[in-house]
Amino acid sequence: MNLLSVQDLQTHFIFRDIDHQLREAKALNKVNLTLNSGQVLGIVGETGAGKSLTAQSICGLLRPPAKIVGGSVTFQGRELLTLPEDEINTIRGAEIAMVVQNPRSSLDPLTQIGAQLVRLHQTHTGGPLAGSRKKALDMMQAVGIPDPEGRFTAWPHELSGGMAQRVLIAMALINEPKLLIADEPTTGLDVTVQAQILDLLNELVARFDMGCMIITHDLGIVAHYCDQVAVMFAGEIVEQGPTREVFLTPAHPYTQQLLAATPERLQLGVKSQLGGQPPDLFNLPTGCLSQDRCTLATEKCGAPPPLIEISKGHLARCHFVKPAEKGRSKSNE
Amino acid sequence: MARLGNRIRGISRLSPTATAGVIIILLFGVLALFSDMFMPHDPVSSFTDRILQPPSAQHWFGTDGNGMDVFSRVIYGAKFGFGIAIPAVIIAVLIGVPVGLIAGYRGGLLDEVLMRIFDGLRVFPSIILALAVVAATGQSLLNVVLVLGFLDSPVFARLVRSEVLALRSSIFVESAIAAGNPTWRILFLHLLPNSIQGAMAQTAVRAAWAVRISATLAFLGVGIQAPTPEWGAMIRQGAEFMVSGQWWVAIFPGIALILLVFGLNLFGDGIQDILDPRRRVSK
Repeated sequence: MNLLSVQDLQTHFIFRDIDHQLREAKALNKVNLTLNSGQVLGIVGETGAGKSLTAQSICGLLRPPAKIVGGSVTFQGRELLTLPEDEINTIRGAEIAMVVQNPRSSLDPLTQIGAQLVRLHQTHTGGPLAGSRKKALDMMQAVGIPDPEGRFTAWPHELSGGMAQRVLIAMALINEPKLLIADEPTTGLDVTVQAQILDLLNELVARFDMGCMIITHDLGIVAHYCDQVAVMFAGEIVEQGPTREVFLTPAHPYTQQLLAATPERLQLGVKSQLGGQPPDLFNLPTGCLSQDRCTLATEKCGAPPPLIEISKGHLARCHFVKPAEKGRSKSNE
Repeated sequence: MARLGNRIRGISRLSPTATAGVIIILLFGVLALFSDMFMPHDPVSSFTDRILQPPSAQHWFGTDGNGMDVFSRVIYGAKFGFGIAIPAVIIAVLIGVPVGLIAGYRGGLLDEVLMRIFDGLRVFPSIILALAVVAATGQSLLNVVLVLGFLDSPVFARLVRSEVLALRSSIFVESAIAAGNPTWRILFLHLLPNSIQGAMAQTAVRAAWAVRISATLAFLGVGIQAPTPEWGAMIRQGAEFMVSGQWWVAIFPGIALILLVFGLNLFGDGIQDILDPRRRVSK
């Protein structure tokens, strides 16, 4: 059984515009994801592709006008989308934890960081206060905060960005979650701190045998740290598979364009083919969503493309992908 | 102790206004708490042989129409000033702050309904409303306190609500939701401490309002009645004698009232100065 399984998740923004017309932006269309314990899954895609929205939908953090209109999210065999709010609250922060960007503004400015850790442990795990304090200090140690005793009474404004992110990771892990969702965990941190934080995340995932989902737009991070990668475009996962396989033999034309557009490759004189705009979410084309930007597009693309399994665990949503051609993916390795 | 001294000196340099206010408030506070030590006579026993005496060595502020010592009565009146203002403000905070928190956080229809009710309270002239309610519910000190507290709660609800509106979409609140905190914890552990500052700065100003309105009610003969040594009631009594030249009966409680309201307002303004970083930099 997968730790997390997302099937055909659809999230729309439904609201009335200035003329009181009912409008519907189809922000997430067909999101299919699977994640196992001990795995790190990277979700990549351009701005507005629905990466963060996917994470929020999974955790039930959507606010109106965003609304889940279809699909299912199963976590350890439990359907999350139909759970009442108070039951979700016992899962959020305990079994599914999130690390967000902007670490410094994610901490309550008027509470010392030790107290924030202790409170979170008390909320979900409970037990004597001294035990929570001990656990908090252990976690601070585990995420590499020097002098945990001294930092226990520090205020959020006294921390650097990297330190604050470590505190957030400690908070995420203090209840020993099964699934960690890191939404751009290193945006706004400098490169050396970025590497430290990501190394730390990887190490902790292995140590606690969690599943981890890293949302990013940095393909380098994915290549380096993720076992699995899912590529999002216009609210769809267009390709998911083992990182190495997807990066070496990208099946979907959009993935190929995305990989070709990394600055390293552009420097080699390869011209980016990634032109145009993502489709209008209010008015999606029928059939393949990337047809307007795709060099391969033909009339065939007017029909919805099937999700094709190229090799075990490597799926892509495109008419031109050939299923299970054993020779092709092997030959490139 | 030395640190406390430094702290006090720092604050007094930061805002001389607040310091002046604190001194006045403390003065009246001491008078109210230990009035027995300062009153030369019983405030409600009358010297029938000395009616409407002008200020003298024996009666510093003279005597009133019942032959009661005005000085003792002014001192005793401080008890009513604080005794009404402090509980009234506490009640206003206890009603207003939770309403503001919930209305701001939940939003939508609940927010609309609560805020329209409170707007309705605010647009109605408070003195007239207080007069009507106290007159209707019975003339007791408790009623005056309850009515003033209730009438003043919209101020705190509005202040807290506006802060919560800005805070509820802030990242740390979303993080708290994502960490599985139930709503009550988010409201009282995260939003309350972060939104209460403006409301707390207002408490002194609202206490001044409560002192003023309660004295006004007594002056109009509602709530507290003469010969209770309450400043408003004393001014009402003394007003009759102003035309005939016995000024001391009304003037002295008037001065006391002005001083206390002035002190509370100074303190309130001073706190706002301290809390407002823009004004702080310029000093």
